[in-house]
Amino acid sequence: MNESRQKSLDERLANLPRDIAPPRNLWPAIAGRLRRSRSRPRPLLFAAAAGIAGACLASALTWSVLHGRTASPAAPLVAHASSFDEPRNAKYVAARDSLELSFRERLRLLDPATRAHIEASLAVIRQAHEDIRKALASDPESPVLEQLWQSTWHDEIDLYDNVVQATQNTMTRT
Amino acid sequence: MLPPAIDAMVESAELVAAAAGGDLAAFESLYRQFAPRVYGLCLRLTGQREAAEDCTQESFVAAWRALAGFEQRSRFSTWLHRIAVHTVLARRRGLRVAYEVAEPKAGLPEVADPGSDAPLDLERAIAALPERARHVLVLVGLYGFSHAEAAQTLGIAEGTCKAQLHRARGLLAQALGLETS
Repeated sequence: MNESRQKSLDERLANLPRDIAPPRNLWPAIAGRLRRSRSRPRPLLFAAAAGIAGACLASALTWSVLHGRTASPAAPLVAHASSFDEPRNAKYVAARDSLELSFRERLRLLDPATRAHIEASLAVIRQAHEDIRKALASDPESPVLEQLWQSTWHDEIDLYDNVVQATQNTMTRT
Repeated sequence: MLPPAIDAMVESAELVAAAAGGDLAAFESLYRQFAPRVYGLCLRLTGQREAAEDCTQESFVAAWRALAGFEQRSRFSTWLHRIAVHTVLARRRGLRVAYEVAEPKAGLPEVADPGSDAPLDLERAIAALPERARHVLVLVGLYGFSHAEAAQTLGIAEGTCKAQLHRARGLLAQALGLETS
């Protein structure tokens, strides 16, 4: 009796459909994000350069990264995939800080609701980055964690750049 | 002629290779093929339709970005499911407060449970499980993760994973009016 009823639970679980169609087509939103961010998947070894290729500060950041690599051979941006991380050299950090400063300035131009939404998104990205960093500390060889980690700081740069781009016309008019 | 399952794997491998080369149409085909499974996984892990939609989107965006690094040592579906689980866990940590105040049964999947007269009973019972027990049940009991994989993904010991599955099954049996072992 007990066994047959317990088996019933197993059968019910086994009969649950694993596939559930999303209630709406998510592809247009996904494709839009992929088209906006880049034209193709980023090879790991070049992900650093691609990740900071925001239209507004692309030249400044690329300059910083390239010069940082030249000036700091002891601290290469990308040693190999398994130790991949956001570049930490001083010039990159300065350029990134500059981008964040522009982002903060532009953010003030937006209405409070939009601003709150963007800041909430940024908080989620940063929390995710921190969570993944901690997970990587205990599982440093996980390629999935490593890839997600890259995605989070790419997302942060993308967010900064999107805000800067979206407010470009406003800045031009003022 | 290849068996359908192998044929599908070969087709997926070809699509993965094309998508890794930047073919967005190939990636869309992968989306069409795998989105229902990813969405089902996200929905059962989060218990919320809107969160599941967001996590599904995020998972495919993350997969596209990471595709060049996918070495096909595992099946694409396995790799994609891991990305989805990490996406859900990362989002949950980032939105801890929002999840706590959300209606836990919102957005339940409208799927039939053939073993019950009340089709949503099992889904509701799963959604109502304590979070850790639900995660383990969904990964191990529904989506075929091994205990080792689930434990590693969730950041818990394998023994804890087994205990949580036992707990989840007991709670489910109780909720459905079944006798516990």
